[in-house]
Amino acid sequence: MVKLREQEHKVLLSLKKFDGRASIEQIIAESGLSDAAVMRAALALQERKLLKIHEEKQIIVKLNEEGKFHAKNGLPERRLINALEELGKKAPIEKVVEKASLEKHFTPIALGWIQKKHWAILDTKTNALQMLEKPKEEDDERLLKLLSLKGQETIGNLSPELQKAVQILKRRKLLETEEKAKRIIALEEVGWKTIKKGVKVAAEVTQLTPELIISGKWRKIKLQKYNIEAPVAKTWPGKKHPYLQFLDEVEEKLVTLGFKEMTGPTVETSFFNFDALYTPQDHPAREIFGVYFVKSPKYGHINASRHVLENVKETHENGWKTGSRGWRYRYSLKESGRLILRGHGTCLSARTLLSKDLEIPGRYFSIVRCYRPEVVDKTHLTEFNQVEGIIVDKDLTLRDLLGVLEKFAIEIAGADEVKFRPDYFPFTEPSVELSAYKKGYGWIEFGGSGIFRPEVTLPLGIEVPVIAWGLGIDRLFMMKAGIDDIRQIFTYDLDWIRRKQVV
Amino acid sequence: MPTIDVDYMDFERMLGIELHRDVERLNEILAYVKGEVKLFDEKEGVISIEIKDTNRPDLWNIEGLTRTLRGFLGVEEGVKAYTVNKPIVEVHVDPKLKDIRPFIGCSIVKNVKLTDTIIRGLMHLQDKLDKTYGRNRQRTSIGLYDFSLITPPLYYGVAKPTEVSFVPLGFEEKMNLKEILEHHPKGIEYGYIVKKHSVYPILQDSKRKVLSFPPIINSNDLGRVTEETQHVLVEVTGPMHETVLNTLKIVTLSLIDRGGKAYSATIHYPHENMKVVTPNLDMWLMDLDIEYVNKVLGLQLTAKQIAQLLAKARFGVEKLESHKVSVQIPCYRIDVMHPIDLVEDIAIAYGYNRIKPLWRKLPTTGGANPKQGLLNIARELMIGLGFQEVLTYTMTNPENLFTKMNCKKTRIVEVANPKVQTFTCLRNWLLPSLMEFLSNNLHVEYPQKIFELGMVTLLDEKRETKTRDEERLAAVISHANSSFSEIKSALDAFLTNFGFEWQTRETKHPSFINGRVGAIIVNGKNIGVLGEIHPKVLEAWKLENPIAAFEINMKTIIQRKT
Repeated sequence: MVKLREQEHKVLLSLKKFDGRASIEQIIAESGLSDAAVMRAALALQERKLLKIHEEKQIIVKLNEEGKFHAKNGLPERRLINALEELGKKAPIEKVVEKASLEKHFTPIALGWIQKKHWAILDTKTNALQMLEKPKEEDDERLLKLLSLKGQETIGNLSPELQKAVQILKRRKLLETEEKAKRIIALEEVGWKTIKKGVKVAAEVTQLTPELIISGKWRKIKLQKYNIEAPVAKTWPGKKHPYLQFLDEVEEKLVTLGFKEMTGPTVETSFFNFDALYTPQDHPAREIFGVYFVKSPKYGHINASRHVLENVKETHENGWKTGSRGWRYRYSLKESGRLILRGHGTCLSARTLLSKDLEIPGRYFSIVRCYRPEVVDKTHLTEFNQVEGIIVDKDLTLRDLLGVLEKFAIEIAGADEVKFRPDYFPFTEPSVELSAYKKGYGWIEFGGSGIFRPEVTLPLGIEVPVIAWGLGIDRLFMMKAGIDDIRQIFTYDLDWIRRKQVV
Repeated sequence: MPTIDVDYMDFERMLGIELHRDVERLNEILAYVKGEVKLFDEKEGVISIEIKDTNRPDLWNIEGLTRTLRGFLGVEEGVKAYTVNKPIVEVHVDPKLKDIRPFIGCSIVKNVKLTDTIIRGLMHLQDKLDKTYGRNRQRTSIGLYDFSLITPPLYYGVAKPTEVSFVPLGFEEKMNLKEILEHHPKGIEYGYIVKKHSVYPILQDSKRKVLSFPPIINSNDLGRVTEETQHVLVEVTGPMHETVLNTLKIVTLSLIDRGGKAYSATIHYPHENMKVVTPNLDMWLMDLDIEYVNKVLGLQLTAKQIAQLLAKARFGVEKLESHKVSVQIPCYRIDVMHPIDLVEDIAIAYGYNRIKPLWRKLPTTGGANPKQGLLNIARELMIGLGFQEVLTYTMTNPENLFTKMNCKKTRIVEVANPKVQTFTCLRNWLLPSLMEFLSNNLHVEYPQKIFELGMVTLLDEKRETKTRDEERLAAVISHANSSFSEIKSALDAFLTNFGFEWQTRETKHPSFINGRVGAIIVNGKNIGVLGEIHPKVLEAWKLENPIAAFEINMKTIIQRKT
C-alpha cells in the first residue's frame, strides 16, 4: 500500500468524488482544507505522478447593465408581443409601443427582433403589427434569466444551446465575457490504481497540542516537517539604551576599581561650579557663552560654612594661607551664589571634599549630565554626560595620577598604549591630558586630569593631595559604536536603537 | 581657549629650528606649551594653533610662543632678561576717570622693523588679548600708535559725548564720541562698557590731538601702525592696574623680540599722589622647595637637576641650595601664582611620558550610590516587560512641556541665555520627552513600547540651589489598540515586583482622556499618573496611534527600599 500524508489522502478522496477531475476550489470545498494545504498536497502527489495539475482557460460570462435591465423587465420584443396579444393580436405600432410602455430607444430594436424571430409581421401600408403565434420562451431569454440569477457562469458549464445564446446576446451587447485561468486537478492512471489498492495514511500533524501530549497520542502521529529556512516576523525586545548600557559598564568598572559614587544637584551655585575650583569670577568660562544661567531665581544659598566661604574669597583675592599670590581681584560673595546649570562634573568633587562623610583615603566618581550653551551639531551637544572623579590620600603624586589614567585607558578603553600631554584647567596643576591608542581605532583623546591646586584644597580644609580626572566618555562610546555624529548619543531614532547590537 | 594664527616661515625662523612642515613633530613640540595644531593652511603658509592655557597670554603670538619653545628645545635656555630705558613720556591721568577706567600703562618701542607679517601678528595678538585676557575690552584694551606723530606729554582724561571729535580708525570723517558709539562698528560692539557714564575716556597729546577713545577705537591719523612706522607707542587702559600692566608687558616684549628698544613712560595719578613708571620688565623671585617638587612629582630630583629643568622652561636660578632653589621668574609669566606652577613646568621639561605611572592599592571600597542600584533594578524590570529604554535631553522648551501636552504653564527652571529656542529650560516632567521621541518614529514598526528613567528638575525655594532634582520613570505604549488596561498591567507588574500594594484613584489630567486617567497611590501617597493620552495631545505631536502611558516619581520606591 502506498503511504500518504493525511492531507494528500484527503485530496485524493475528494478527487475521486469528482470522478477524478476537479478544480482547486471544488477540492477546497470538499476536503475542508485550506488553499495552501490543497496546493501543497497536490504538488506532492503530482511529484509522485498520481495526478496532474492543469491550467485551463475559462471564459466567464456575465450581464452588463443593459442585460440586467432586460433580465428584469423582459427583452423589448417580448414586451412588445405581450402588448400586441393584449391588443387583440393586431394593432398599430404606436398603440402597441404605448401599451408596452416601451422606452423610445428600444422601439426599433424590438420591431427588428419581433420580425426576425417570426413572432409578428409588419404591414407597411397600415403601419400595423400582426401577431403570428404565441411565442415560447427562447434560449436567449433562458440565458438572461440564468445569468441574472447566478451573477456569472463559465461558458463550459452551459448547454450547447445556451452557449449559442451567449453569442447572440453578446452581439446584442447585453453581456460581457472575461478570460480566467483555472487550476484543475486530474487523476492519472497511477492515481486511480492507488485509490483502488487502498492508501495507508501516515498520521501527520502540524501542531503539537496539549491534548496530544497528555493523551500520549503523540506517539502515533508524525509531526509535519517545516520549511525551517522560511523567514519569520521580526521581534524587538526591550533593551537598555546602547549609550546607557555603556555607561553602566563604565560604572561597574569604576566600582570594581574601588571608586564610590558622588551625587549633586543639576542646578548648581557658581560657588561649587567655579569659586571652590579656583576659577576667578571674571573667567571667560563664566560668561554667557560658557555656562547657562538660571533666569529666576538668580541666587541660591550656599551650603558651606562661613569660614569656608571666607577662605575661598581670600584665596581668590590674595592667596590666603595657600602660599599663592591669588587672582588679585575683588571677590563678590553675591556672585558666588549665582545659580547656573552644572557645567562640569567637577563641582561634585568640590562638594565631596567639603562633605563631612569624606573618607581619606578615598576614591570617588560620578557620571552626571552637564550643560553648556552650544549650538547642537555633529560635534557639540548642549547637554552631555561626564564621568569624573577624585582620589584623596596623603602622599599622592603625579605618578599616581598617571597610574590612574593608565588604568582607565586599559580597563575602560581597552587601550594598547597610552600617552600623556600637558593640559590646562584653572583648578589643577600639574594637569595631564590622556590619549589612548587602540589597534584599529588609532589615538583618541580620552581624558583630562590633574592634581587639585592648593588654592582648591586648602580653603576646603583638605590638607592632602587630591587627584582629579575626567574621562572623554562620549568620544570613547562613539568610537566603540562606530558613530561619527555626537547627536547619535541622544538619538530619537527608534529603529537604530532597536537594531543596535548589544555587544 | 584662544586659537592663534601664525605665519609658518616666520615661526620657524623665530624658533631657530627647521621643522620641514611636519605637523606631527609640530604637535610634539607644541605639547610643551599645551598647544595643538588645529589647521595647517599650506597654501597660505599659516598654522592655527590652539593654546589650552587661558592664563598664559604671553603665548598668544609668534614671539611669545617661540620664546618659550626655544627653551624646551634647547635652543636658548634660562631666563631671558628684558630691559627698558628711562621714561621719555609723561602721562597725566584725570581723577574723573576713577570710576570709569582709571588705569593706563604706556611704553615706547623705538627702531622696530615692522613687516607686514609682524604687523598682522601684532593685530592678532591685540585681538586675542582684548577678547580673552581683556574680557572683551572690559578689563584691558590696547592701542598702538606711530610715536613720531605724537607730541608728549599725553593726557588721559574724560570728555562729554559730543565735546570731542576725531576721525576714528577706518573712517574718513570726523565723528564725536556719541556718533562713534552709534555708528562705528567698534562703538556698537564695545559701547556697553562706557555708555553708562556721563563722560567718556579720551587720550590726547599735548596738542590736544586725539590718540584714542578707550576702549572703543583709535584715531585714524595717529593710531595706525604701518611698515613705515619706526617708533611705536603702546598704550593699555583698564579698570584694574595689574591686568593693564600685564597686557602692556606682553605687547612691549613682542616688539622688543622684533629688535626694538623699549622706553618707559611716567604715569601721574595726581589724586592718589602716585607716580608709576611703566612698563616694569623686571623678573621676580620665588623660593622653591626641593622636597616639595619631589613630593608632588613622585621623583627624586636633585637641586641641580631641578635647576636644569627650570632653565629649559626659561626660568632662572638666582641661588641654588641643597633644599631649595630661588627661582627667577620672567616678567611675562603672569600665570605663576604658587610654587606648584613651577613644579608643573619642571614636570613638562622632564617629560610626562618619562614618569612611571603608579597604581597604588588603597583600602577603599567602591560602590554605586545606593539609589543607583534600585534605579538599575527598575530599568531592568521595565526591559523585562518589553519596553525599550531611551535617552532624551533634559533641556527642552515650554511648548513641549505645556502647550503640546494641553497643560497650563507653571514655573520651571528656565535659562537666561538660551542658545536656541528648542533648549530654553529644564524639563519638569518626563512624558513630553517620550512624546517627542514617538513623534520622531511615526513610521517605525509598531507596537512601540519605550521608557526612560531620568531626571526632572523642579523649583524648590527651601533648597540650597532653590531647585530639586527628581528621578522619574515614564513609559508609553503606542499601537492601534493600546489601552489603559495594557499600561496598567505593566505598571502593576512593576510595582508588585517592588513589593508595593497600590491603587488607582480616579483623577483629572489635561494630558489624558477624562475617565481614562488615574492617580497612582502607593501607601496613601500619590506617586504619579497613568492613563490614555488625550487625542488633543496626540494631535499636537502629530501622532497617529493611541498611546497609554504612566509617569512615576521614584522617590518613594527609593526611600522605602534603602
